[in-house]
Amino acid sequence: MEMVGSDEQMVERALSGDPEAFGEIVRRWERRIFALAFGMLGREEDARDATQETFMAAFRNLRGFRGEAKVSSWLHRIAVNQCITRQRRAKVRSETALEDEAEKNAAVFAMPAEISPARTTEGRERSVAVRRAVCALPPDLRQVVVMKEFEELTFQEISDALELPLSTVKSRLYTALRQLQMRLQKFGERIG
Amino acid sequence: MRTMNERSVCHRSEDLVTYLYNEASAAEAQDFAGHLETCEACRAEFAVFSQVHESILLWRNEALGSAFSSASQAVEVPAEATTDSRQFVRHEQKLPALAALREFFSVSPLWLRGATAFAALLLCVLGVLTISRMLQRQPQVTKNETQPGFSQRDIDQAVQKGIEEGMARASRANLPPKGEIKMIRPQKAENRIQLAANQSQPRSQRSRSLTRQERIQLAADLRLTPGRDEEELPFVFPDEPNQ
Repeated sequence: MEMVGSDEQMVERALSGDPEAFGEIVRRWERRIFALAFGMLGREEDARDATQETFMAAFRNLRGFRGEAKVSSWLHRIAVNQCITRQRRAKVRSETALEDEAEKNAAVFAMPAEISPARTTEGRERSVAVRRAVCALPPDLRQVVVMKEFEELTFQEISDALELPLSTVKSRLYTALRQLQMRLQKFGERIG
Repeated sequence: MRTMNERSVCHRSEDLVTYLYNEASAAEAQDFAGHLETCEACRAEFAVFSQVHESILLWRNEALGSAFSSASQAVEVPAEATTDSRQFVRHEQKLPALAALREFFSVSPLWLRGATAFAALLLCVLGVLTISRMLQRQPQVTKNETQPGFSQRDIDQAVQKGIEEGMARASRANLPPKGEIKMIRPQKAENRIQLAANQSQPRSQRSRSLTRQERIQLAADLRLTPGRDEEELPFVFPDEPNQ
């Protein structure tokens, strides 16, 4: 059952002991946080874990939430930090294992049942190439791309979430798009 | 896509991304559209960035099309949300068996479908054969289980016991009082041989009429007529039928 009220009001109610209030925040934001985590990490399983950890961390630090920022910005910041932490851990474990595993999973994960039989090999390869290109971006560029493309946040929302100037967000996205274009161009030459 | 290195970079890069993602105001959009007509670098960049944007959207829609459905179940919030023991429960989405089978056949080549069908048919035949053989064996097993088997020794003992009991009964019933025992006259060997020869012959030959000599001998054997050497008998049982 949906609860009425802003995110900030839900936080206040959760802090005052309402057991349903934080659940409502999770229900409102889980899809977006998952999309962010998926774009950042490239794997469904990792994205689920990161989403889970994000809400756990948010719940633990509920009292640390300052009313100055939006709850969505606060959650995004936590999620981005969780993803970056996971990536660092994964990088320590193995530089390439994540990529290889993600590539293996992507073949299954990135194929909805309605499309998969009719999809061409080139289409699959292109999706894999896009995912790899996004995953290969530096974290500061990647998070902007993911927040823009996967969550469809406005530049202002990204700016608020990352606590960055608006111009910085735009220039990061521009740089990220250039890098992606170059990587995908290599892919285009390879399969062309 | 053109190579970035081949293009000069315009200073309006931020306006470019604002315009690309439709976040420019009407005035800003009109202004930048005019700039695109005159700036080749921005026009080229806008074209390739649009392709990149579409590629990412395609990947996102494919990936999150299925991922979102499971993601909505991925994080569940129990009623006691304010306790530290809250758990986020995951649910794995699985295709139903029939749908998975249909998916398998839809993506499989023709030879694989044929091989699968043949293997399934072979399995069915083997299954039917196995079941029929089991059904045939089952009564034997039951019989063996319900009726314990006899060893050769058991049979020998039973036969021996039967013989002894029979002999005991016969001796009790037929044993004459002392002194009444008479010796039975042994038959002449040649007569016995002749009779045996007649019996060993085929039925068609045996059915022929007996000769006189044979009839006399037969009568003597059956005690219908007193033999010539009747007195030579050592002893005779008193209840001999023909006495």
